[in-house]
Amino acid sequence: MDTISTTVENTWCPGCGNFGIVNALKKAVELLEKNGMKRSHLMISSGIGCHGKIFEYVNLNGLYSIHGRSMATVEGMKLGNPALKVVAFAGDGDAYGEGIAHMIFAAKRNADITVIVHNNGAYALTTGQFSPTSKKGFKGPSRPEGNVEDPLNPLSLLLEAGATFVARGYAGKIDHLADLIVKAVTHEGFSIIDVLQPSVVFNNTYKVYNELAEIVPKPAETFEEAMRLTKDMKDRIPIGIFYVVEKPIFHKELMGEWNPVQNKMNREKRIQLIKESI
Amino acid sequence: MTKDIFTYLIGGKAGQGTKKAGIVAANFFSDLKREVFQNNDYPSLIRGGHNFSVVSTSTTKIYSHYMQADLAVVLDQRSYDIHQHHLSAHGVIVYNADKVKGNGIGLPLSSEAKKYENPDLIEGVAGIAVLAAFLNVDTKRLDDIIRQEYGHHVEDNLSYAHTIYKIAQEKLPKKITLKQGDKKHVTLSGSDAIGLGAAAAGLDIYFAYPMTPSTPLLHFFASNGKKLGIITVQPENEIAVANMAIGAACTGARAMVGTSGGGFCLMQEAFSLAGMAEAPVLFCLGQRPGPSTGVPTYTEQAELLFSLYQGQGEFPRIVASPGTIEESFYLAAELLNLVWRFQTPGILLFEKHLSESSMSVVLNAEKTTWAEPLLHKTGDFKRYRITKDGISPLLFPPSESMIKWSSYEHDEQGFTTETADGITQMHEKRLQKQHTLIEELKQMHTVNTFGETELLIFTFGSTTMSVLEALDYAGIKATVIQPIYLQPFPSWEFERYKNKKTIVVEQNSTGQLEQLLREKVGIIPVSSIRQYDGRPFDPVDLATKIKKVT
Repeated sequence: MDTISTTVENTWCPGCGNFGIVNALKKAVELLEKNGMKRSHLMISSGIGCHGKIFEYVNLNGLYSIHGRSMATVEGMKLGNPALKVVAFAGDGDAYGEGIAHMIFAAKRNADITVIVHNNGAYALTTGQFSPTSKKGFKGPSRPEGNVEDPLNPLSLLLEAGATFVARGYAGKIDHLADLIVKAVTHEGFSIIDVLQPSVVFNNTYKVYNELAEIVPKPAETFEEAMRLTKDMKDRIPIGIFYVVEKPIFHKELMGEWNPVQNKMNREKRIQLIKESI
Repeated sequence: MTKDIFTYLIGGKAGQGTKKAGIVAANFFSDLKREVFQNNDYPSLIRGGHNFSVVSTSTTKIYSHYMQADLAVVLDQRSYDIHQHHLSAHGVIVYNADKVKGNGIGLPLSSEAKKYENPDLIEGVAGIAVLAAFLNVDTKRLDDIIRQEYGHHVEDNLSYAHTIYKIAQEKLPKKITLKQGDKKHVTLSGSDAIGLGAAAAGLDIYFAYPMTPSTPLLHFFASNGKKLGIITVQPENEIAVANMAIGAACTGARAMVGTSGGGFCLMQEAFSLAGMAEAPVLFCLGQRPGPSTGVPTYTEQAELLFSLYQGQGEFPRIVASPGTIEESFYLAAELLNLVWRFQTPGILLFEKHLSESSMSVVLNAEKTTWAEPLLHKTGDFKRYRITKDGISPLLFPPSESMIKWSSYEHDEQGFTTETADGITQMHEKRLQKQHTLIEELKQMHTVNTFGETELLIFTFGSTTMSVLEALDYAGIKATVIQPIYLQPFPSWEFERYKNKKTIVVEQNSTGQLEQLLREKVGIIPVSSIRQYDGRPFDPVDLATKIKKVT
């Protein structure tokens, strides 16, 4: 067995898109290590849902967070120790429903975090209710006659909010996805990979994704072109990096090169400063 | 009345500088080596409305402002109408004759102010000039004060202050000379004391979304953090605040958050997460009158039971409430320590009356402890290792050993468990931690007791200050008992108080402390004094109420 897998029993449905994502993650970590990143310096978090189980299938440090909050969790980790690389896993319910505000603001402030969204267009762990990205008409136990809402376009939204790395991956294209993860983690700033993730039980999209997924050769040259890519869903579904731009990152804007845990002031100095105030 | 008290009140519209004038007056009294207590009363708005600041000063310890002013300066009609009823027996009210119809001493504060730029903002200076005239302060001293405190447009301020000072000197019927005290004290607000206390225990990072009455704490860290090496973060909402703090704690950063009732409601799922994941985070919870938006800029103590019971599931939590501004310094430090030693969330519960009032303090920064958790040293690391006392040693990244924190019920390694034994084991681990915590608290100072008489007065939080001042003012003999720690509740300290004549004083309508005393230690009071009008107790009024029920 590789050194990144744990012995925890895998309970995803056979054929679930989540397998593609965890396999891509394992590859990406190996590639990142080859590039010089230390695994000990990587911290992860996940939300709650089928996606969240990835947290226990990989031997990586972190916190198994609550629904919709894994992005905020890793933002806190990054602020606590900016020397760490942080990755949040989230489902579409986590990232685009419960935690949408955290996503928009992490993008807005260009927090140096990576968010990988297992987007299956359904609430799978709770047995298939419609989610923020479910198509209109999607049938689930909470709306048996079909979803009456249009789906959200998360990448357009996050691009507009200020995301500096916007990508879409497909769980069926593992090497491509691994490459996206490497680039997203390496990117300094807010990186989002929306991963098309078929759910074999609740929303089996393999056929349509295999047919329509089309790798874009390189990121868009302009913001407007990237925006078009995020909306181009009619005859093809573009995957790949849509947009990358360099912008000042949040923790450096906030505290420069300061690292709260590594540069911590000693007690004598702190007490001396306090004495001056009282 | 034997206590030497002088009270100065200044009222006006928001934006006229009444709070600033209160601070300047307090600094002036401190320079006379007197003790001070300053209270600021303001509605939730930026311009207009009615603001006032009251400063009471004494040559001995003073725990409250008094709503009986010896000198009241009122800048508008509304202030006059309200504060003409807030005068001491020989109190003098000085009003702005250009805007107020009234009895007393009218001075042309606005018409004189109009001669300068920014006339509205300058009127607070008049309050200080009148105070200086009333207290026989010479013009040189007045100049120093104005130069030091009103540096912006200083020449205009000096000129205006002189004009008002001269007119006031002619018109004021009598003047007072304040006695000097023995020792110059530092004046500190509750918020600053909390901030400094947490800093003294090694705080690294403060997260908050603005909400009265915890906003001044956010401002404290924002303006002092750089010097102290503390990062201040204002995320998108309270949910992010609490979750970011937990994330930061996982890296070993000492994290604290601040909020008020509504914001704390939003933090409940994260609070419970901190309980399950055993993440050390200190939550500062400032109370204002609720429910809901309630009365944002006023005071109440109606979140006592909320703080004890919110957050789903069962887990150890530490809740404590400081009785004085001095105590809030030490308690903030102590709680940051405890949450790190016991790896569980804690709440520092306080009120607007504590966080936004200021008083003279004597503090010793050395009497604090640096928050240090139990650290993993050698061998296999398991985040939730079962130990005798329930506390698992911590390890922080970067780490070769796997560190898994979890919101799910988990095994020692941190992996999800749903087995009957696994669930029981971790419940018992957290219970053991609770027992260890209680044993620790038994060795600590968890209850304040003032006095040794038969009559017992139970109170908590900032109401302690009101009670102490009321007793001192009226010469009432009573023992004041103030639980500092509210969860775990120090029941062991209360056995001796059973079956005695007991009064409970608190600022809420349902008697939450009373319920707690009844539930935890079976103490049933003969009388309750409750105030729930958003205002802190006035010591004179409270003394009358205490006398009535004893």
